[in-house]
Amino acid sequence: MKNGDTDDLCCCEYYDLSNERNHILACLCNCVDLDEAVDNLVKGKKVSDQNKAGLTNTMRDRLRVPWIGGAIQVSFDSLLPVIILPLVFLVSSLSLWWTAFSFTTIGVFILLISNFFVRTIPKTKFFFVWTVTSIVLLYFIFEFVVIPFLEILVEENIALSVLIFGFIMCLYLMKLRANQLIAALDDESQLSFNGKSIEGFYACKICDCKIPDKDHHCVWFDCCISRHNHCLFLLSLFFAIAALLYSSNLTLTSVCHPYEFFKTILLPDDCSDVYFQFELGLSFVSAVYSILIAILLWLILMQQMFLISVGIPLKDWVKLPLSSKLCLGLNRLRPHNRGLIRNWLRIVCEITPKYTPINRDV
Amino acid sequence: MLTKCVQLLCVTAVFVAVYFPARHARHYDYVTLENAIKEIVLRAPGTALLRSKNCTYRNVILNNQEIPVSKITKTSYFVQPLPGGEYIPRHCTPLIKTAVIIPYRNRTEQLNVFVKYMHKFLQNQNIHYRLILAEQNDTLPFNRAKMINFGAHLAIALNYSCLILHDVDLIPLTTGNLYGCSNRPRHMSSSLDTFRYNLPYLTLFGGAIAILADQFRKVNGMSNSFYGWGGEDDDFYERLEAHKLLPYRFTPELSKYTMLVHKKQPKNDGRFEKLSKSLENLRDGLNTLTQKYSVYLEDLYTKVVPI
Repeated sequence: MKNGDTDDLCCCEYYDLSNERNHILACLCNCVDLDEAVDNLVKGKKVSDQNKAGLTNTMRDRLRVPWIGGAIQVSFDSLLPVIILPLVFLVSSLSLWWTAFSFTTIGVFILLISNFFVRTIPKTKFFFVWTVTSIVLLYFIFEFVVIPFLEILVEENIALSVLIFGFIMCLYLMKLRANQLIAALDDESQLSFNGKSIEGFYACKICDCKIPDKDHHCVWFDCCISRHNHCLFLLSLFFAIAALLYSSNLTLTSVCHPYEFFKTILLPDDCSDVYFQFELGLSFVSAVYSILIAILLWLILMQQMFLISVGIPLKDWVKLPLSSKLCLGLNRLRPHNRGLIRNWLRIVCEITPKYTPINRDV
Repeated sequence: MLTKCVQLLCVTAVFVAVYFPARHARHYDYVTLENAIKEIVLRAPGTALLRSKNCTYRNVILNNQEIPVSKITKTSYFVQPLPGGEYIPRHCTPLIKTAVIIPYRNRTEQLNVFVKYMHKFLQNQNIHYRLILAEQNDTLPFNRAKMINFGAHLAIALNYSCLILHDVDLIPLTTGNLYGCSNRPRHMSSSLDTFRYNLPYLTLFGGAIAILADQFRKVNGMSNSFYGWGGEDDDFYERLEAHKLLPYRFTPELSKYTMLVHKKQPKNDGRFEKLSKSLENLRDGLNTLTQKYSVYLEDLYTKVVPI
């Protein structure tokens, strides 16, 4: 379409990164980065970062599925979680050792691959797809494996659904606000700032945009967090933690031997039988996964609440030296700090702050 | 407009499918604590024993208390029963004569805990009772219903008016759970800890059942043809329904049980096939029980073993 040829694409053809017509079967041909990388490998030299990035980008571009009107792109990095997560769940439900082994492997894998992705393809949807896959997988296991044990009441199921709905609504609104802001700023920043360097606005490489009062970019929600959606971010964390803990409690008290902790609150006390049956094992594994995620989210929530209280955005906090972190960052200059109460009020109340250059407060 | 209607219909369908009540544990109708007292069947013993006065059972139910699970295995004092595990209260004339029938095979540890606990538990209720253990000694899959039939046969011969069909791994946790029969057959273990104290489905009728001996004879006992785990309780429920003896339950506060932990047994594969035939099985039961059994009077229970 760009090169002036008007013929329709066949189902295996597509326009590649440099807008040229290409065919799926030619996927290994004509790739300079691959040639260089293999060349370097054979010669025993180190493959450069630039080379790796080029290679992964080409790989993403060329991995396609035949489709009517031209082959569509499926980036392998977005596809990874959809394959890995169900596989891990299946393997983990075999025995306790498999559970421990595969969850540790997954932890290490995430650490390594996040490093790699941040360097090579920062715009990857890998983390967001991981989040979505986790939600879908956990919910399906709960509804179609745990519920058929006939031990959970309808109102308990509905209560869990409300928590999940709360989480998804917060997530949706959060992303919506971020997109609205980016769309609004696209024109505004060009109008008002005449190329001067601007305080309070921070470029986000992943969003391709300058975000006012940016806190950090959350790869798991694939969204920039700043003042306009910080409150929703905290709320979504809260709902996610609540839903994960509640579902894991329901699951564990169903598949394990429960005891009455206090009045109607049940807790599991003996899970030794869960690996004897596949369904029990799968439910148990999903509950363990939920608890682990909930702990991580809780740590993040605590960190967020602390940073908001002292008035340091996360992106600044990670750059602080260890000595300052040990002093809780209180010994540093904190340009965003307005005092404990006003920090919180700003996040909770000013959900639609005005970002005009005149009354911008920094 | 049409697409919107279709969408709405799809969403509703998904909602109904997800929150369909039968997919979940059920809320159920139950007899309240006050009414439970009226439902218990009391009968003066046939042979007029000259004792001071009749026993009362009202306070047993009203002073209902929960026993913590941790106390189950603790050895506690109970009066040594007569040979064969029979106990008759001395201080008053009991109006309830119960045989607790326990189908059993190869669960020695659980049996030890169960028997000691039950003597202590039942002696606080002022009832005349006997523990009857029906032990299967062949190598076929466990036939719970058939063992119950053997136990019931003996109990009826010994003139026990109330039968309680009881699994060996169930321990009652509420002192007000009176081990006597009610006007209709009663499902006693409706609030079981392994089911999160919920009822999986409304026709569940396993675990601990109280039924009058007359009623048990009327439905011809349980079917003898269920080998393996499961199915026989559902069949028994259908038999009762067919004879218009619809079972009920007492309030959950009287019906708490805990299950002693054990490894799960493989399920009976032909379970549903048998269930659909159960109405044809109606004749099979107590009166087709031709096999002889021997009776041993142990210290704490009567043992019934088919020969």
